[in-house]
Formats: sequence, structure tokens, C-alpha cells
Amino acid sequence: MFRRAYSTATANGLKKTPLYDLHIKYGADMVDFAGYSMPVLYKGQSHIDSHKWVRSKAGIFDVSHMLQQNLKGDDVIPFLDKITPSDFKASKPWANQLTVLLNQDGGIIDDTIVTKHDDDKNFYIVTNAGTREKDLEFFKNESQPFDVKFEQIDNALIALQGPLASKVLQNFTNEDLSKIYFGNSKIIKIPGFNNLDIHLARGGYTGEDGFELSIPKDVSIEFTEALLENKDEVRPIGLAARDSLRLEAGMCLYGHDLNDTITPVEGALSWVIAKNRRDPNVNKFNGSSKILGQLADRSLVKQQRVGFTSKGPAPREGTEIYSKEDPEKKIGVVTSGSLSPSSSERINIGQAYVERGYHKSGTPVLVKIRNKLRDATIAKQPFIPSNYYRG
Amino acid sequence: MFSRSLLRSSSATSRLMLNNTLKLSFRYQSSLIGKFNKESLINTYSKGPIDLRFTEDHEYVAAHPDQTAFIGITKYASDAIGDVTFVELPEIGDKIDQGDVIGSIESVKSSNDIFAPISGEVIAINEQLNDNAPLVNSDPLGDGWIVQVKVEDAEQLKELQNEQEYEESLKQDA
Repeated sequence: MFRRAYSTATANGLKKTPLYDLHIKYGADMVDFAGYSMPVLYKGQSHIDSHKWVRSKAGIFDVSHMLQQNLKGDDVIPFLDKITPSDFKASKPWANQLTVLLNQDGGIIDDTIVTKHDDDKNFYIVTNAGTREKDLEFFKNESQPFDVKFEQIDNALIALQGPLASKVLQNFTNEDLSKIYFGNSKIIKIPGFNNLDIHLARGGYTGEDGFELSIPKDVSIEFTEALLENKDEVRPIGLAARDSLRLEAGMCLYGHDLNDTITPVEGALSWVIAKNRRDPNVNKFNGSSKILGQLADRSLVKQQRVGFTSKGPAPREGTEIYSKEDPEKKIGVVTSGSLSPSSSERINIGQAYVERGYHKSGTPVLVKIRNKLRDATIAKQPFIPSNYYRG
Repeated sequence: MFSRSLLRSSSATSRLMLNNTLKLSFRYQSSLIGKFNKESLINTYSKGPIDLRFTEDHEYVAAHPDQTAFIGITKYASDAIGDVTFVELPEIGDKIDQGDVIGSIESVKSSNDIFAPISGEVIAINEQLNDNAPLVNSDPLGDGWIVQVKVEDAEQLKELQNEQEYEESLKQDA
């Protein structure tokens, strides 16, 4: 079979994903993202065009820079029980679980999607690009007492996202996609590509219906271009819109909205802590005494992740937040913020950490931009209704 | 990022984006400065002649014989910023000194300071931008003007670049 020869680094030393040549062909502006040369915008589409396209049609994102691994062995469950607050014993095969990797202090090392495959000895795990080295070191250290083995998967990973994603993909497979619901995975066959096996996970990072597809890299460009032939439905979309889409969907960007000093309770991710793992006498996981302590007594939570909205200039990462009653009193800081491109009223949205007491939706606060205090309001996330396929 | 300072951007992502956009969008395009829109107020305000000047921050100053001048940004700058979503304007009556931050131009992901290219007093602001910020993209040297100032020191104008010098400086940047 024909094999494409890859060069794996650009002239300026950035790593290339298997789809690099496709990005260039489609006129992408490439930027350094976590050491990879990644597309930020494609020719002929502005940021807002790209964003709205994904909300109304379908977009393809290259997320091959993320780390995909198979996790195997007799001790996968006890290992995951130690490093996450989730219950993987109870999770169903081929169900995707969003969880967090925890350090000894209960801080979040990374957020991740973990999928049990056929049984308790076989899992698939996807972690972030920006934390690759740290995560690998963490897995290596944490897994030492356990019978677990990590295998890096050298595939391309693309996300096909938007209300037309399913319609487009259905043309490539005999698998009935209407039977695969949000949050589930399956290996599907692609007859037009020699019965190629693709690992499909229904979900994504935009709030829309869609899929993350793990594709052998030799055929990843051909397959992605085949999807893109549906020009009226599918376009390649870059990092610019990826960020504004995820922000509207209320999702965290690790390294901005989460870091390794933040616990899941502070990060407003208490829901990832499984119900049956909340008894501090029975269950131990990394940082469990601190995390479960915060769950039981919220006064131990000093700051908490919230959403907010405002008008006028957009609060950005680092923008300080002040109390409305006492404008001298700093109560928090913005971690992500921008205009919401889907909003016809030009509302700004974002995420921030604020002191408890100011965290309730509807609380008026002040944000300091160019030395002027301006009104903002703590708000519920997501900022747009999610559009997942639940059958 | 612009090597000079109009686009002091507040987020790392956008800095990268700008840098990149600029490199790719530049070479041999004729429309870097933008088309001077003769139908717009920046031209029709007086019978002229108009002294059109540029700064290293990619701003323009269109000075009229009555010692007032319209200030905006060039197409080179507005292309680099991308979809303009919001423009923060100064207030009428504000006294500005050359180099002061007098407002900002935002895209979805970046905030970019507007620096006063000359000293003076703000005598008009383009209120159309409150409802239609994308005018800065579609007609930067026209209906997308930002403020009009009463020029304090005509000598400052002479020190700014003329059209040819500005175009030359863009070529060297690329």
C-alpha cells in the first residue's frame, strides 16, 4: 500500500501533526500551540465566520496534538481509582468519562476523557497537548506499584463538530450512527477506505453534536479531505473558533481555567467525583481528604470557578474582578473571556475565579479594564444551550 | 505582533495570530493601506487639501485645512486584528497627548490599544462604531474613522510618515 512519507517538524522546530500538509493546502495561518504547528484560521473565513459555521453546519478540527493512549493491565481500575475521583469499575464499556487527574494535594494535573473498552483491563485515554510531558511523567510515577501498561497511539485525531456532523459521517459508514449516543464510543468501519477501522467517540468540545475520530495517520489526510468534499456542509476550522466555541459551551481550557493548584471542587467540577467515592473513610484517591473535606464543608472553598457576562470591552484572562458594593475590594480574576460570537446582542462571556459568596448566578460584580470599573454579572454556564445527540 | 505598538494585545493567542496573519497577508498586495473613501466624512468634511499621514502604529491622520484631523487605523492593521467586534472611543472634549491610549479596538480574542498619533482635543467621535464596529474592517480609511481632533501642534503632523514612507515601512516589515 502507498505510504506517505512524513517530515515531523517544521523549519522552526515545531512538531507537525499528520494533517499538517492539509492545513497548508487549505490556506491556514499556522501558529505555535503547545510546541505544534497548528491552524488558527483558514483562508477565506474570519473567526466569526468559522464559529458560526460550526454552530450551523459542521467543522473539522485537527486535534492530533492531543495525547492518545491505550491503558492495559490487571490493575487499571485500582490505578484509575488512585489518580481520579471517578468510578471506572461501574462505568459501562465504550462509555466516555470526563474526569481529572489529581496530584497528592488534590490539584488538577489535567482534565481527560477516559473510555473503558471491552473490559476492566482495557481503556483508552486522551489528555491535553500542552501537558504532554507532565502527564507522561505523572503516569509513569503513579503507575509504578500497579500492573498497568501505557501504549501511545500514533493516530491522527480529528473532531467533526456541528449539527450536520452526523449526516456527513453517515455517508462513509454502514454503522447506524443514530444508535450511538452522546458520550459513547465505538470502532466503526469505513468501506470506502479498505474497511478501515476508526475509533469514534460521540461528543466534543463545542457544545454541538459531533465526533472525535482516531484515524491511522497514513490515511488521515485522504479521509479528512473526503469529509471536506462536502463543501456546503463541512469546513476546516482552526484554533481561534475552537476557543470561542468551547467558551460558549462552558468548557474549561486547561492551563487557563484549571491548573494543578485548583481542586475539582474549586474548579466547579464536583460532578466528576463519583457518588460512591465521597466517603472519606472508605475511598482514598490522590488529595481525597482535601477534596472530600471541601465537598462536606464549602466554607473550606476560598475561590470557585464561575461564568460571567458583560457588555462593552471584553474582560480577558487576567482582568481583575471587584465587589459591586465595595469597589475597592478585589474578589477575583478572569481566566478566559471574549465576545460571544453567537450572541446577537454582542454579549461578552467568560470564566473567572471569585471568592465564595460572590459565586452565585446573578451576582453583580465589577471588572477593571483599562483602569475603569465596568459592570459584569456572574452567570450560569453553558452560555448557549448544548446540542448533544441523546437519541 | 506588530513590532510597533498599536496592537498591544492582551492575550497570548491573539499575539500569535496577529503575527501570523501579518506575515501571510503582506507581500505584494496593493491594498495594505486601504482605499481612501472619498465619499466619507474624512474627505467631504472640507474642500481640502488633505494631508494624509501615517504612524508606525498603523494609524492614519487625515488633516484638514481648519487644523482638525480624522484618526483611524489602516487596512493593514484592521486585517491583522480580524473581525472588529467593539471599539472603545474617547469622549468629546478629552485632551489627548501624543502616545496616550485613547481607546481600544477589539476582536473576538484580542484587545488592541489605540494610541494618540498627535496631541489635541477630541472634537468628534464616530458614534456609528457603537452599533457597527465592523466598519473598521470594511472601510478603515472612510466610514470606519475613529475620532476627529483639533490639532494642537501642526509640527507633529510633519514628523509622521507620508503615504509612500508608510508603504515602504510595511515592505520592510514583511
